[in-house]
Amino acid sequence: MKKLNFILAALLGMGLNYSQAQTPKGNLLIKNATVLTVTKGNLENTDVLVQDGLIKQVGKNLSAPSGVETVDASGKYLMPGIIDAHSHVALDVVNEASAPIVAEVRMKDMVNPYEIGLYRALAGGVTISHAMHGSANVVGGQNATLKHRWGSDDPADIIMQDAPRTIKFALGENPTRVHGRGNNIQPRTRMGVEAILRNGFNEALQYKKGWETYNAAKGQKGNTLAPPVFNDRLQTLADILDGKIIIHCHSYRADEIYMLINVAKDFGITKLVFQHTNEGFKVAPEIAEYTMGASVFADWWAYKMEVYYSTAFNAAILQRNGVITSINSDSAELIRHLYHEAAKTQRYGGLSDDEALAMITINPAKQLGIADKVGSIEVGKQADLVIFEGHPLSSYAVPQMTFVDGVKYFDIKSDSDDQRQLVSATEMVEPVYLHAEEDHQCLQGVEEYFHAFMGTFMQDHTH
Amino acid sequence: MKKQILKAGVAGLLLTGILSHAGWAQSDPTGKRRVTETFAITNATIFASPGQQATKGSVLFRDGVILGIGANLSLPKEAQVIPGDSLFIYPGFIDGAGMAGVTKPKDPERPKDFVSSAPPDEIAGITPWRSVSDQFSLSASQVEDLRKAGFTMAQVLPDGGMIPGKASIMVLGSSGAVNVLVENSALAANFRGSRGMYPATAVGVMAKFRDVYQNTTLALNHSKLYASNGGVSRPEVTPTQAAMAAVVQKQIPVIFTAASDLEIRRAISLQKELGFKLILTGLEYYEPVIDLIKSSGTPVLVKLEIPDDKAIKANKAENATEATKAQYERVKEAYDKALKQAAQLEKAGIPFAFSTMDTKPSDALKAVQSMVKNGLSEKAALAALTTNPAQILGISRVAGTIEKGKMANLVISNDSIFKESAQIKHVVADGYVFDYEVKKKAAKENGKSENGAVKIEGVWEYTAETPAGSNGGEITFTKEGADYSGTITLDDPSGSGKINTPIRNVSLDGKTVTFEFDVNAGGNTLVVSISGEISGNSMEGTMSVAQFGSFPVKATLVTPSQTH
Repeated sequence: MKKLNFILAALLGMGLNYSQAQTPKGNLLIKNATVLTVTKGNLENTDVLVQDGLIKQVGKNLSAPSGVETVDASGKYLMPGIIDAHSHVALDVVNEASAPIVAEVRMKDMVNPYEIGLYRALAGGVTISHAMHGSANVVGGQNATLKHRWGSDDPADIIMQDAPRTIKFALGENPTRVHGRGNNIQPRTRMGVEAILRNGFNEALQYKKGWETYNAAKGQKGNTLAPPVFNDRLQTLADILDGKIIIHCHSYRADEIYMLINVAKDFGITKLVFQHTNEGFKVAPEIAEYTMGASVFADWWAYKMEVYYSTAFNAAILQRNGVITSINSDSAELIRHLYHEAAKTQRYGGLSDDEALAMITINPAKQLGIADKVGSIEVGKQADLVIFEGHPLSSYAVPQMTFVDGVKYFDIKSDSDDQRQLVSATEMVEPVYLHAEEDHQCLQGVEEYFHAFMGTFMQDHTH
Repeated sequence: MKKQILKAGVAGLLLTGILSHAGWAQSDPTGKRRVTETFAITNATIFASPGQQATKGSVLFRDGVILGIGANLSLPKEAQVIPGDSLFIYPGFIDGAGMAGVTKPKDPERPKDFVSSAPPDEIAGITPWRSVSDQFSLSASQVEDLRKAGFTMAQVLPDGGMIPGKASIMVLGSSGAVNVLVENSALAANFRGSRGMYPATAVGVMAKFRDVYQNTTLALNHSKLYASNGGVSRPEVTPTQAAMAAVVQKQIPVIFTAASDLEIRRAISLQKELGFKLILTGLEYYEPVIDLIKSSGTPVLVKLEIPDDKAIKANKAENATEATKAQYERVKEAYDKALKQAAQLEKAGIPFAFSTMDTKPSDALKAVQSMVKNGLSEKAALAALTTNPAQILGISRVAGTIEKGKMANLVISNDSIFKESAQIKHVVADGYVFDYEVKKKAAKENGKSENGAVKIEGVWEYTAETPAGSNGGEITFTKEGADYSGTITLDDPSGSGKINTPIRNVSLDGKTVTFEFDVNAGGNTLVVSISGEISGNSMEGTMSVAQFGSFPVKATLVTPSQTH
């Protein structure tokens, strides 16, 4: 029995991380850069020393220890590696669309380190992305936080193993369309979405209690209590209730955002981030008070009914109301120029340089629970760094070099035409999948799923 | 009424036939009984096991068991002698995992209260209680194709969803015999989701696999508690859990289909998490995980197929830009690397075997020869066909080598099997001798025959006999310079009516024409190849589809092309 408990304990929350090999850590001295620390102001003509993958020293006239490579960044800008809090790059499967709650599925199982999107993201200065499950379900799968260590063929190497667990939730039209309209089960409306959440959490409480009762009884002499059924779905919801997992919730409308805040309050959940949040500006004080913030598009809306009411001032309004705000991509294209997206908050809302840069660095780091490790240039943090030609918030900014843990994974000078890591032996060009623009990559794979449903539907009719 | 009597009569007749055969009756109305069960192949070159020096001698076997090998065997009078002069004898090949002869069972009717988010196991492709023995027919044409390629035994996998059922090890001998050697040899699993229900994708399949496994463990614990203590609620062990018990108790391995390095990693990660015994099959791209395969000690079955070379062949360097040329170069490099993978497994000291799943058995020797050309030793290649699968399947005591006391499973060829000219003349499986026609390779005459040039241009009407019934349409060949192109019409597999699709790789060699075309069936592209002998205005040959076997095809030239 003890053994089983051990197995269960080992199982819960583990993805593909058994082979936690040592990932490469670099040593490096970057000289004479304009260092945009994001959290500690801007430092002119400053050097940054990296040792064993960590930022060791930030200061003037540092000298490189023997054997440590020096990079001259005179006239250039150095900023922390950009963090994208919403991406689907490097995932072989995005949506397990088949049930309203699929908390048990793990994106870590589906990480594909060969996807060229990782390299393109590096070329845009992005060192960390939040590889999320899609938005077809009220509770989607558990996400993976990736560090873009391009060139490894082992998915475990690009998973940020020291990042906390996060999970995808989704409100509104997507889950009601897939399950309610597509499949005639709950949820068909926003009320149904809330009911799914409350029922799920209540079941998780019962599940947890069942196991606690069993674990207490099983060691007793003459125990007659049989083990409960194992259910990773409910176990994961219980872990959310225990504060072990950060919720990242796909949301648009103010009413549904406020609904989830109320659900979270009722169940004592504090680790909650809203994604998209296009009507977030209407409930900014509430989001600021109760959550870990909102991750939004700079100026993207009106791609479906529930996203008609929005504004490019959304990020600035949220920020000035004290919401931890980040700008994300949700797209393999936008991820390449998130610095432009951040700069839009200056055009629409007049945010300061530090506020704008925080939206793609320290703020997403906070939302992913990794702000103690990355997101700013501070001594002791992991050396995820980007050197820019031109200020990153300028229209003329061009990333020059991108480092993860002090190791260079992108250099514009050695950027060749064909940067693919894996080339098919049997296909001249890998097939390109074009997704409908609407809702970006969030519903990737769901179209196909719908067709399957339709097939089923028709079959039933012919019977 | 009359009909019923007739039916009963036929059934009775059949029954009599079976009974008389099994009961050693004096007469044999089927006419199938052999004159003798004792055979000797004399004076042949014998490769008794991989790496062993060839010896000249005879092999004697009776009732499916090898009685002896050697130069000075005394042959009993009843032995039927097959003169083996100039022939080469190898141990019968063993297919580590295949699906030849398997018919997928019908999907069960959906219950009225069916909910796609929580479907019953049986509908969601979770059927571990099924045995492939119920789905397998030895007389299927795919089995004949496999045997013709030298395979005398095969671990056969069931067809179905993510956990389709249990595999069996079959002897590919007589269809009149019981051919199961090991029932329930492994549990088959793969990453295929169920269409339109949970789990629909690979990520759902992995979660569901964990769930099934964990709950089987708990159900077993519950049963144990119930057996030892009073007052315990009755365990409700589901059919899934009952059938998974042998896996959880590590009595049988899980044989996971994993084509790519990432899938291999996923299967091994599940294995490490849960602790079951694992065999990997269907490996296609595995170069990056050779170290992992080695360190995890996982037995592997490599897909017995040369990678499709249509991308390489399509590369026409003329008029291409530098960038495109560089791309060609990378594809070529990847292709060459893919061919060398088997050799790398050998170098790493991994005793791999083969799987014929989704391959064309008639190309099996060609695939092995290509691996040898790319660095695999002949010894390792033969081991992968014989001793390694025997080891992995746990049947080394009775199979894998030519030894006294082992099963009479032999491959007899007209030349070393590693030579391109090699053809298999006989296959002995379970002591039954199968003879194959060895074709004299005609000198390349490029479309010339004794009556002058063979012409194929024009419209041919063809019929093909498939298990789904008779099928037919038109084939049109057009000559373009020295090459041929054309089209074929066929019944649309996804509905009614005919479709017209282009054919490719048309080649005319002597009187033999071969070509291929793609059929889209249920979202999968199947490559169909046709090979036919032309005589005047008619053609006879076979149509073969990997996995489905080969079927006879006939055609007549109805409107010869006027221009040539």
